[in-house]
Amino acid sequence: MTTVTLDLVRDVLDHVVVDRDGVPCGMVDDIALDRDARDRLVPAALLIGPGAWTRRLPRWLGPLARRAFGARVARIDWSEVARVGERIELRSTARDLSLDAAERRWSRWIGRIPGSGA
Amino acid sequence: MNKPLEVFLGILTAVGGFVEIGELTFSLDAGVDFGYRLLWVSLFGTIGIIVYGEMAGRVAAVRGQPVFGVIRERVGFGAGLATLLAANLINLLTCAAEIGGVAIVWQLLAGWPYRALVAFAFVFIVLTVWLLPFEWIERVFGLGGLMMLVFLVVALREGPDWGTLAAGLVPGWPNDATGSRLVLYAFYGVALLSSVMLPYETYFYAAGAIEDGWTPKDITLNRVVVIVGFLLGSLLSVALIAIGAQFFEPRGAKPALPGLAALPAAREFGHAGLLLALGGMFFAFAGAAIETGLSGAYNLAHFFGWPWGKSRPPRNAARFCASWIAIFALAALVVGSGIDPVDVVEWSIVLAVVVLPLSYFPLLVVAADRRIMGEHANGGLANALGVFYLVVVTLAALCAIPLFALTRGGRG
Repeated sequence: MTTVTLDLVRDVLDHVVVDRDGVPCGMVDDIALDRDARDRLVPAALLIGPGAWTRRLPRWLGPLARRAFGARVARIDWSEVARVGERIELRSTARDLSLDAAERRWSRWIGRIPGSGA
Repeated sequence: MNKPLEVFLGILTAVGGFVEIGELTFSLDAGVDFGYRLLWVSLFGTIGIIVYGEMAGRVAAVRGQPVFGVIRERVGFGAGLATLLAANLINLLTCAAEIGGVAIVWQLLAGWPYRALVAFAFVFIVLTVWLLPFEWIERVFGLGGLMMLVFLVVALREGPDWGTLAAGLVPGWPNDATGSRLVLYAFYGVALLSSVMLPYETYFYAAGAIEDGWTPKDITLNRVVVIVGFLLGSLLSVALIAIGAQFFEPRGAKPALPGLAALPAAREFGHAGLLLALGGMFFAFAGAAIETGLSGAYNLAHFFGWPWGKSRPPRNAARFCASWIAIFALAALVVGSGIDPVDVVEWSIVLAVVVLPLSYFPLLVVAADRRIMGEHANGGLANALGVFYLVVVTLAALCAIPLFALTRGGRG
């Protein structure tokens, strides 16, 4: 196995995540770390959603934001990451990973307007 | 489309879209109060927007990354969120001002009640954005805005005092500068600078470049369109200052309503002049309303990683689409609530300058980074100008609100 050095804060955190079809499905709001066999820190998962980013707000604002936007977090296993570039590309579709829940909710409303599928 | 035509259309679109209601208002007022003395600010700001517009377009072409993607990536979530909220508040206010401007132009043409026309403008804008593809929106309003070139012809026919005009292109203070007049001069300087460099211009420009599918091959196109288009566009701003100095000042009048700007064109060319001026203003204001509203939705989508873009069917970019509808609706409510649209214009311009450093700093950092941009990173000139203008807009941002309070929004 080859070892790749990544600056996680610079190259992964706060980058846009796109699915197999190139559809944006959130930002890397946080990263879960793990220890490998040699006790080195390695990325375990991408955390996406309000539950992850509200934790990064100032202490007085976080709880308010969680009340407004909910505490949903999607945990995307690091093995799901196909490529780390300007965009973080995943191996599956947004739907397979249930990353499209919020978009689908809004789509039900917007989809009712004539011409929305054009 | 073939390249020369694309460049040509890009330039025309940039020219026609250069002036919006804030710039029109402050250029005329600056001309009335200080003659040609503030011309240099217009040119100075144009070079600034060229520097940062070029950077935004280049980053978009090379990395496919829009401005708020860059902001969040470089300054992190918290500071990025604060910038997003501030930027979208300005977008909302600017959008409201432009919608008010459209309603004023229609009122002059049709004489209907103002509030009904605000509602009508809202419906018109939402339908336009819903129905027209991105490229068409850009072209129709950019090219329609070229009717404003009538102001350039009017300014020339009025016979400018070329000597004084040339002197106004050199930075400096007015001759009769004393206490409060000096403060007023500084206020107009900051406001004019802000109106030329409005933050939504870089957001929209970069998002548009991605919508148009730019690649690193388009870097030259980007450079030519920005430099030539914005320089020619700034001639319109210069013409408006000149008209303020040549037409309104001698008559002891200050065009309180943006619609009055059409008067000099009517005097010079009668009915046709009036229609050209009002038509140009309509396309310029409506175009700017659309760009600011869409910018707000772009910013949200880029910050939170939503599917976005006019090229996606609305149902596949539902949150993006709901965002721009909501922004246009809020903007119409703001300006339809009875607040004087001219006040909204002033607020949007004064607050806009405060957001500029927050948007420009991350852009400069990314555009200058060889690791990110490779061979397309900033050269020495872009870096030097970028740092210089970042310092200038930061100083302007610090002065803007105190100056606004001291001059009571330029009312002296």
